[in-house]
Amino acid sequence: MTCQQVREQLPLFVYGELSFEEEERLEQHLVACRSCREALERERAWHSALDRAAAAPPSGLLAQCRGALFANLDRQKLRRRPWLTRLVPPWNWKPASAFALMATGFVLARLVPFGPTRVPLGSPAEPVAAQVRYLQPDPSGKVRILLDETRQRVVTGSLEDEPIRRLLLTAASASPDPGLRAISMDVLRARTESPEVREALLQALRSDPNPGVRLKALDALRPYASDRRVRAVLAEVLLSDENAGVRIEAIDLLTQHKELELAGVFQELLHKEQNVYVRDRCQKALRDMNASLETF
Amino acid sequence: MESPASGAPDHLTFPRSIRLQYWCVLSVLREAALSTEWSAASEADEAAWIRAAQRGDREAFERLVRSYDQSVLRLAFNLVRSAEDARDIYQETFLRVYKNLHAFRFDCSFHTWLYRIATNVCLDWLRKKKVRREEPAAVETEDGPRDRTEAVAESQATANPERRLLSLQLQERIEEVLATLTPRERLVFELRHYQGLRLKAIGEMLGASEEAAKNCLFRATRKMRQALGDFL
Repeated sequence: MTCQQVREQLPLFVYGELSFEEEERLEQHLVACRSCREALERERAWHSALDRAAAAPPSGLLAQCRGALFANLDRQKLRRRPWLTRLVPPWNWKPASAFALMATGFVLARLVPFGPTRVPLGSPAEPVAAQVRYLQPDPSGKVRILLDETRQRVVTGSLEDEPIRRLLLTAASASPDPGLRAISMDVLRARTESPEVREALLQALRSDPNPGVRLKALDALRPYASDRRVRAVLAEVLLSDENAGVRIEAIDLLTQHKELELAGVFQELLHKEQNVYVRDRCQKALRDMNASLETF
Repeated sequence: MESPASGAPDHLTFPRSIRLQYWCVLSVLREAALSTEWSAASEADEAAWIRAAQRGDREAFERLVRSYDQSVLRLAFNLVRSAEDARDIYQETFLRVYKNLHAFRFDCSFHTWLYRIATNVCLDWLRKKKVRREEPAAVETEDGPRDRTEAVAESQATANPERRLLSLQLQERIEEVLATLTPRERLVFELRHYQGLRLKAIGEMLGASEEAAKNCLFRATRKMRQALGDFL
């Protein structure tokens, strides 16, 4: 093996990327060749110099990236769901299909002229949202009207009942009414021991457009302030939520359990935070942790 | 050729079979060290998370993200040196993972599959960057935008002002030379030198052979050595 061949293989040798045979030949040569050994030392020094050019991501960037990604996934999930599934929760497809079948039968029965039929207009106890589909005036002065009806009904039950819990979870995530979503949070907080409920609260905290609802979700998660996943979401929210009230509550919850890695998140927040009160809280939290207010 | 001198590898005095065993053990240890760094999850846990995520389990998907996103972000940031661009690469990588997870068939390891996506996103970015020929004078740091030459690993510079200046000049020069590599050379060099991946794995990620990755690394190091000769 010539010195020229050895010099060409030195980078791969330092990376540990030569085969056993290649390493053997190279090392045999090094034993006998001082100048190639010196070249190897220079190669190693060169590698160390390159290491110094490495740059680590700023602290807090990872939390920001995660927050943005999970919020983006939430939005995609909502957009992807077909419109009908937004109205009917997944568990309810079978009853919904049965209901649709019955409704069709009901309508068809009214279309087939089996003699004069009186259409019930619904009892006062059951409010009906109806749409007139078809009209047929009668020579006697009466009129036949074909209605599409959506009957409302009241279901009652406790959070122990699966269908009730499902309805609440659907209302918490998919209702267009922020008031309804906020009430759902209040009711669901009695069942935060269920991972499914906690997940719904975390999703609301991350992505609900209404800050009041996000605050309700955050409050409901208070007993789980030490949970690893809850804390990860809180850190994301702290760096990405546009509402100062939510950020302050997030600081409160996070500081209930002091962890050193939190310092990076607080320092990152301090770096960009405009709100004076949030800055104060953040600085106090860092001082309580004996952490620096600045990143170096 | 000269006579053996101090500093020569001692293990060459061992029998060849022992040296071969030593080499094999070393190779296994190198692989193990890298795979431990990539993901703390056991293979069984990870397979369960992948299957659950493929069924639509959002929490399982988030666990997968958290297992790998630190190294993806480190790769992206070291390549692009901008928090904003690194964030875009991170976002694009994991959105592609999310959209294509149903197509993952366990015919390669998950980290190879995921890094294949990440390296493709990085290559796209480098190619666009090459077309634009832009090199921002400032980079993002924890303290906000700073001059590129000052931003790199300042904490590692020595307290001696003369050596510190030399160190900064060298870092600046390294940055310039890295920018002259082709996107593939830049990426292979990044993955091998800074991310510590094996050439075999890099080849798999880039859809190329180990030999092709080796040649690419060889070209990159040769270019850098030629360009940095005066500084070392």
